[in-house]
Amino acid sequence: MLRNLRVSGILVILGLVVEALSLCWNNAVSFMSFVVVGGLLFVSGILLFLYSLVSLNTSARRLDATVETRH
Amino acid sequence: MIGPQTLVFLLIGASILLILVVVIRPSVTASREGKILAFLALFIVPIVAAGLGASEHIERSEQTQFCLSCHIMEPYGRTLYVDDSSYIPAAHFQNHRVPADKACYTCHTDYAMFGTIRAKVEGLHHVYVYWFGTPMHPIRLYHPYNNRECLHCHSGARSFEESPTHTAMMGDLKSNKVSCTSSGCHDTYHPVDKLDQVKFWKPTE
Repeated sequence: MLRNLRVSGILVILGLVVEALSLCWNNAVSFMSFVVVGGLLFVSGILLFLYSLVSLNTSARRLDATVETRH
Repeated sequence: MIGPQTLVFLLIGASILLILVVVIRPSVTASREGKILAFLALFIVPIVAAGLGASEHIERSEQTQFCLSCHIMEPYGRTLYVDDSSYIPAAHFQNHRVPADKACYTCHTDYAMFGTIRAKVEGLHHVYVYWFGTPMHPIRLYHPYNNRECLHCHSGARSFEESPTHTAMMGDLKSNKVSCTSSGCHDTYHPVDKLDQVKFWKPTE
């Protein structure tokens, strides 16, 4: 979970850096780098973060179920 | 007053700082407050920053400078300075009948519902063809030019409405049965193949 969180954070930061850099110019290349490179990094970071939340929930439920069975 | 670009930069900076807290000390997410911080840092704030950035990029993509940043569009940009008022784009651009900084977009967008989105999608297609395909030569429009784009400004204008030629065929013009641009009336647009034969207008500084 913590590793996923770190990786997703780094991906989102890279996406935001690409976005900031692309805003320094006004041409088709900067627009495309924003959409393709920035978008890809950003979306993969966000998705990884959401996945880590979901997987955390699943592991917590499994843990709860194990505890209940023991009791 | 903070401009939209500054706001985007501030938000990106704030977002990066918040994410760094979570990345450097992921143990903060053990507490409820830490989880809320992580959710804000890695989801809400970046999405707002990216949304504002996208909006700024879309706004900029309407500028003449943006369209002409593609090498292939350079001759079309030069035709805006042709010193001959019979050329429709040049006459519109030089007399500010269209905003000079949004000259391409004003005439080549789609004024129908969701037209702006359609124009952006077609713009992305231009970029795709430019980099990964073979651009057509000479460049042609994907669809015949729709009178709606002309009438968006000219409809209701005195000089247009009082012209006997326009009045006689107003219904056909509005229903797009007779084209403004290809029926022989206003069919002089971008003389890209005659750039070495025409005179150019130099705007005074």
